Amino acid sequence: MESSTTSPTTFGPHTLPANDNINPYAFSVDLDGQWFITKGAMIAYYGDIRFEAVTAFASQQAWVAARFSSPVYIHDWVIAEGHGKLVLGDRGFDINSYTLEDGNLVIKANNLLAFEPTLELKQSIVPGFVTLIGSGTFLASSNGPVIFVEPPFRADPEALLGWADVPSPSVHHDAAWMAQSFATAVQGMVGRASGEERQYDFTGAGTILLQSSEVVRHDPSLARLVESQTDLLSPSQAGALGRKLLAREQAAKS
Amino acid sequence: MSSMGTTGSFEQVNSKVVRVPVSPAQPVLARRGAMLGYSGQVTFRPVFGQGHGVGGVVGAAMSGESNPMMATEGEGSVLYGYRGLHVTVLQLDGSASLTCEADRLLVHSAHLQSSVEFIGQGGVRAAVRGAVTGQGLFTTRLHGTGPVALLSHGGTFAMPIDGETVGVDPQAYVGHVGALQVELSAKVGWRDAVGRGSGEAFQLHVSGHGTVYVQASEKKF
Repeated sequence: MESSTTSPTTFGPHTLPANDNINPYAFSVDLDGQWFITKGAMIAYYGDIRFEAVTAFASQQAWVAARFSSPVYIHDWVIAEGHGKLVLGDRGFDINSYTLEDGNLVIKANNLLAFEPTLELKQSIVPGFVTLIGSGTFLASSNGPVIFVEPPFRADPEALLGWADVPSPSVHHDAAWMAQSFATAVQGMVGRASGEERQYDFTGAGTILLQSSEVVRHDPSLARLVESQTDLLSPSQAGALGRKLLAREQAAKS
Repeated sequence: MSSMGTTGSFEQVNSKVVRVPVSPAQPVLARRGAMLGYSGQVTFRPVFGQGHGVGGVVGAAMSGESNPMMATEGEGSVLYGYRGLHVTVLQLDGSASLTCEADRLLVHSAHLQSSVEFIGQGGVRAAVRGAVTGQGLFTTRLHGTGPVALLSHGGTFAMPIDGETVGVDPQAYVGHVGALQVELSAKVGWRDAVGRGSGEAFQLHVSGHGTVYVQASEKKF
């Protein structure tokens, strides 16, 4: 909050912070080797750094495939390789670095910005989230500063940023909300589904990460993720689902 | 935690999130979709309409001032925030009421009475203001004693007014507390008509005794 009114600082390759925030919204990585970063996260760099799609890398080097095991998200990631200072940012969101030590942390895929290859990325069972396993540093963006809370806690799915060392959440439905919504629907009131009827319920020990709820950003991977899960359906069920989705699109257009 | 009656107990977690204790004696009303998370035995219930009587219900229906709200009841602590907008917590002491657009209300004590009312004295002038500012002819007024959290884009600052008149950009106006008159002044010349105006043709002139809250942005939501 301070120094916002003072004159801006000028940084050079040696004065840029090493693995630290430049300001709340930009982070400088002291790159020596490889980092995984999301497409579009790089805003500037000094030094000799090459950026290559993870897909291109994975076909050549076995370690990449071992570290990045998520076909759904692989198209959104690149590997930065070389030496220098790499500045990362994301839509003016707050950027935080976290260090895991032999840990296991689940984070919203949209908000994960970059991670060291000492960490391993896998898809979480909860759609739209990824799991980071191992030891190392990663960067995540959040809308406003991150809020840490401890279970027992129930979180709104949109506000949930991630969780660490907690058993996977279950879904809690607010009975009072559902009963009320149904009653009002019968009365003919316009009650849209956007409500608080559904929450993620955390129990056990650990930490939950929250952010101020954001406008849900279009996540290109989500469609792929959902589509891959339709393998569970029988052909006739899949056809019925397709017709329903089509009807929904047409209803939204009109 | 000795929050007796309706004294304020909203805790600002950061610039965008507020933590609100809820108890059977202290339910709150919040914007729907603004709950980020909670601990304890807390339930949420959608509520419709605001205020009481014809003015409340009809006004809400007519004006688009029918901001979807929900009641939060039970025993626990709830985090509220909305789309990354900044949050300002005010404490109403019962001596003056708060006037603001309904969609600015993030959460407030259920002990506060809300009503929907005409902004200004009505008539052509109010109609013009509503049309111009896009903020509707109706505003929400909260009175009583208790805390309220307001949403703004980029945070608010308070401008105390004691007899003088302050001009505020209609888009930057968030709300006001106290006995204030809010009037729209329009100085529209031919330059504005052809799009070469200063962009400040319309201003809200606020006068009286109280405090007006202004956001550091002309972006509405």
